[in-house]
Amino acid sequence: MIERLQAIEKIAKEKLQASVTGAELEAWRVDFLGKKGELSSALRAMGSLPAEERPKIGQVVNTIRTTLEEAFESYKTKLETQWQKAKEESEKVDITLSPRLPFLGTMHPLQRVIRRIEDIFIGFGFTVERGPHVETDHFNFEMLNLPKDHPARDMQDTFYFHEEMLMRTHTSPMQARTMQQRAPHVPLRILVPGRVYRRDDDDATHSHEFTQIEGLVVDYGISMSDLKGVLLTFAKELFGEQQEIRLRPSFFPFTEPSAEMDVRCIYCGGEGCSTCKHTGWIEILGCGMVHPSVLTMNGYTDGDVTGFAFGMGVERIAMLLYGITDIRQFYTNDVRLLQQFIAVAR
Amino acid sequence: MKITWQWLNEYIDLSDLTPQQVAKDLTNAGIPVEWMEQVSPEVQGVLVGYVTAIAKHPEADRLRVCTVDVGYDEQLQIVCGAQNVDAGQKVPVAVHGSMLPGGKIKKAKLRGVESNGMICSAGELGLDVKMLPKEQTQGIFVLPSGAPIGESIGAYLGLDDTVMELELTPNRSDCLSLYGVANEVAAIYGKKVKMPVVDTMQLQSNDQTQQKLFVELATPKCAYYCGQVVSGLALAPSPLWMQMRLLAVGMRPINNLVDITNYVMLEWGQPLHAFDYGVIEDQTIIVRQAFDDEAIITLDDQSRVVQPETIMITDRHKNLGLAGVMGGQNSEVTANTTSVVIESAIFDPIATRKTAKALNLRSEASSRFEKGIDPAVTEVALSRAAFLMIAYAHGQIASEVVRVVAKEGLMTPTSITVHVSHVARLLGFTIEQAEMLTLCARLGFAVKVMDDEKIEVSVPTRRPDITREADMIEEFARLVGYDKIPTTTMKGALTAGGLTKKQKIERNLRDYLIDLGLHEVWTYSLTKPDVMAPLGYAQDHPLRQFGTLLNPLSEDRIALRTHMLPSLLEVAMYNRNRNQESIRLFEFGTVFLPKSLPMVEQPGEQYRLTGLMSGTIAPTHPHHKERMVDFYDVAGLVQAVFVKLGFEPKEWIVTKSEEPFYHPHQCAKMTVEGNEIAHFGRINKQVVEKYDLADTYYFELDLERIIQIVKDRLRVKELPKHPSADRDLAFVVERDLPVSSLLALTSKEAGEHLESVTVFDVYTGEKVAHEQKSVALHFVFRAVDHTLSEREIQDAIDRIMSAVTTTFGATLRE
Repeated sequence: MIERLQAIEKIAKEKLQASVTGAELEAWRVDFLGKKGELSSALRAMGSLPAEERPKIGQVVNTIRTTLEEAFESYKTKLETQWQKAKEESEKVDITLSPRLPFLGTMHPLQRVIRRIEDIFIGFGFTVERGPHVETDHFNFEMLNLPKDHPARDMQDTFYFHEEMLMRTHTSPMQARTMQQRAPHVPLRILVPGRVYRRDDDDATHSHEFTQIEGLVVDYGISMSDLKGVLLTFAKELFGEQQEIRLRPSFFPFTEPSAEMDVRCIYCGGEGCSTCKHTGWIEILGCGMVHPSVLTMNGYTDGDVTGFAFGMGVERIAMLLYGITDIRQFYTNDVRLLQQFIAVAR
Repeated sequence: MKITWQWLNEYIDLSDLTPQQVAKDLTNAGIPVEWMEQVSPEVQGVLVGYVTAIAKHPEADRLRVCTVDVGYDEQLQIVCGAQNVDAGQKVPVAVHGSMLPGGKIKKAKLRGVESNGMICSAGELGLDVKMLPKEQTQGIFVLPSGAPIGESIGAYLGLDDTVMELELTPNRSDCLSLYGVANEVAAIYGKKVKMPVVDTMQLQSNDQTQQKLFVELATPKCAYYCGQVVSGLALAPSPLWMQMRLLAVGMRPINNLVDITNYVMLEWGQPLHAFDYGVIEDQTIIVRQAFDDEAIITLDDQSRVVQPETIMITDRHKNLGLAGVMGGQNSEVTANTTSVVIESAIFDPIATRKTAKALNLRSEASSRFEKGIDPAVTEVALSRAAFLMIAYAHGQIASEVVRVVAKEGLMTPTSITVHVSHVARLLGFTIEQAEMLTLCARLGFAVKVMDDEKIEVSVPTRRPDITREADMIEEFARLVGYDKIPTTTMKGALTAGGLTKKQKIERNLRDYLIDLGLHEVWTYSLTKPDVMAPLGYAQDHPLRQFGTLLNPLSEDRIALRTHMLPSLLEVAMYNRNRNQESIRLFEFGTVFLPKSLPMVEQPGEQYRLTGLMSGTIAPTHPHHKERMVDFYDVAGLVQAVFVKLGFEPKEWIVTKSEEPFYHPHQCAKMTVEGNEIAHFGRINKQVVEKYDLADTYYFELDLERIIQIVKDRLRVKELPKHPSADRDLAFVVERDLPVSSLLALTSKEAGEHLESVTVFDVYTGEKVAHEQKSVALHFVFRAVDHTLSEREIQDAIDRIMSAVTTTFGATLRE
């Protein structure tokens, strides 16, 4: 009997190794471990044995069963691993093939700059305002201390619809409009991004339509050092912590004192290059203390209320930041250019 | 404004400074030096020579062999081809080893004769020959007989001088003269200005023939008029040094009289004019406003009809000139002129500007009048010109200076009180009173201490830009240096800052559309009305009424756009022409709808979100089939935007759009609470063909209305506690029946337990009749508080069935 059982074990082990497919494996299990399998029939045949031999043979059968079960499980796992590998092999893809990309949209470069600047000034407590593109002479000029025939009007060649109606030449009329709406309330801290229009022939550095961002703060005791503080923080946020600024005296009819703000050339770091015309500085913004006449004309009559204002060209900043050399490209919208504004980087 | 370094140094001693340093300091003081360069840096080693003899060249008829003294021990033999060379001339000689703009000069043999250099023409010295009189540019450049032999020509002609171009802001018209710039430089360095002194005694002693001159001011637009007669004049070229200076700053030398008036204008900022005294009848000059339709022949021989604003210079019988703009032909200085009236006057800035602009006659003189003249120099400049005419044109003083002051207080300085505390408050740092006094002294402003807190500054008339305390504070700040201003943090109440609801919505929509794969574009607001013609709106439609510019620059930009579509089509065409296979664009833009024409009031400015899609729906890829954009893509995009905005599909109604530029059967509009808030669809063939585009889809959202109705808060529905019951029903209906009608009716009839109904199949084909279609709907029923019974579900389905059968004649598809 024992010999027979050992023969079964031997055959079983050989047959197991010969099984390759799932069906063969299952057939093996039925043949050797199933209720009608070889071991079970051997157990059943045990009834014919003498009673004293039974426990011994039973023990042998159980040992063999355990051995075969373990062999089965281990062999099955091995096969399954092989099958899995074969299946994966058959599912191989060329990982270098171009992926199925979704379309990736982009924000317009000028909008990108506006958003960055808006976020900086929102952090300083500014709100964002927008105003009409078609303005009255009154708000575009007169309320900003530019009476008719003021020579400074020549600085801004204007598109007219009518003597009193024009395309705004700057975002500054929103200074007057906001002051008139809110005076004598303080503090006033606003940022006005928007399109402006000048009667200029389009070329690489001029556009008859372009974008400005205007800022205005009106409060008790606002000083030029506050203006400088805000602008320095702004420049560092926009161009990097190392950025330095320089203020130079200038003239705008609606500020006094007035200044131009230069930043260290972002290309050469101040060494001097063609972008900064070898001066090491790049002019990016005009600013100053709100002219006393502008404050009083627009409703701030308390002599202790002062303010500062600034204005910058968005195209110019975008050209500097991204190395674009022709202003017209912002309005041509060549997708090959727009596509490059995809990364979240500055 | 151009100046030269040597010229400036005549009035202020800058020998301890370099032009570079002064340029930097002027820039930092608010007078930016735009560029600076040497007049002719390439000319080196060229000397003044004296031609002692000339002889014919033995081999060439057109060449001369000259013997030239350049101060060397031996005279030089130089072969010269110019026909005007002659013995006894002083000439520029480029000796062996010297440099010209054309290159280095070396000894050479010309047709067998040794030549030790070159006698130069004006052009060869790098002078602007277009600006010089003809006789000086043909052949060699003959120098005055007094030119010192052996002197460097660079020094003699001022070719080694440095020209600086100042970029003046409109307020600093005081720097439109050497005098003004010298004062500015003096203020920067604390130096003194020394202007040339005109010896009035000498002028008077020169006074030999007593002529009469009378001046009548008949208009308030002439604040001040000075005139003086100078006689005995001989018209000739002005001295070479004067010509060279004028040339260096871009003015054309003409003759001694004209050059002197120009030179004095550049020196003092006071434009002058010289009239031929002989043509002035009754010795009387009358300054008056122009009459209607008055005409004058100006000295450029043009007949000009003048403006009512124009100020005329006349005598009792005829016009003599346009004040401040241009003289008349009849009173022009000619070779026969022996006596002139020098006019030094102040004409109204606005009148001068209007006249010059209207006649397109802007000049150095008129632009100075436009910006204002310092009355303190008017007479000084007159005397200076008279003096120079005596010195360089054989002139004699022939009359007294006639002066008429029309404006009260013209010469009075402006008095400004400056508070020490106001300076500190505005600048954010303190300037001590003592320092302010020093700064005033540097500026040349008289000042008086009122008390510890106040000073009173007397601003001279040469600085009309300074009228109030803030202006003086700027003067102090710029002289101290803006770099001395500290940086501080704004004080005052905290403000939250941030965006309005509308701005936030705009940001979210922009980001969303970008995430959906669209490129944001920016296009111009100014366009031409023609672009609206193909869109199909009638000629009198409001969208074809444009605000048009009075003074456009180009035909393509004459009117404000009333519609965004043409702009986007242009961008699409541009990109299509550059082989973009898929065009997906959006723009936030403003359209302008005039309320009146011509546009005397501000138009309605409407902010729109628009977009355009054309070409393939996804980037090309080897593993999926290419599909072109269709109506449902644009519809899906727009509806996704509305879902994003917080609207639920049941809140909007989709109906056909009436916009004429769409395909008549592939366009829709969306309405919420009776407001039309969007339309979208396929652009019709006539329009896309005009732009050479394939099938193109457009959408437009009315942001203003959307912002009014958009929900502020997001609310979450509780998750269901009870199971749903799902049922599918397929109806056979007329093919034309909009599915939305079926959905609307079934939703309405299904009762309170209907959670959703969606379309999962639309079929036309063999299995249904020709005029019919099958629409398969998926219904989800659910009750909030219990599990629905079979009975409840069946009731709902029965209601749906009965309604669609009666309303649309639908049958259930088996």
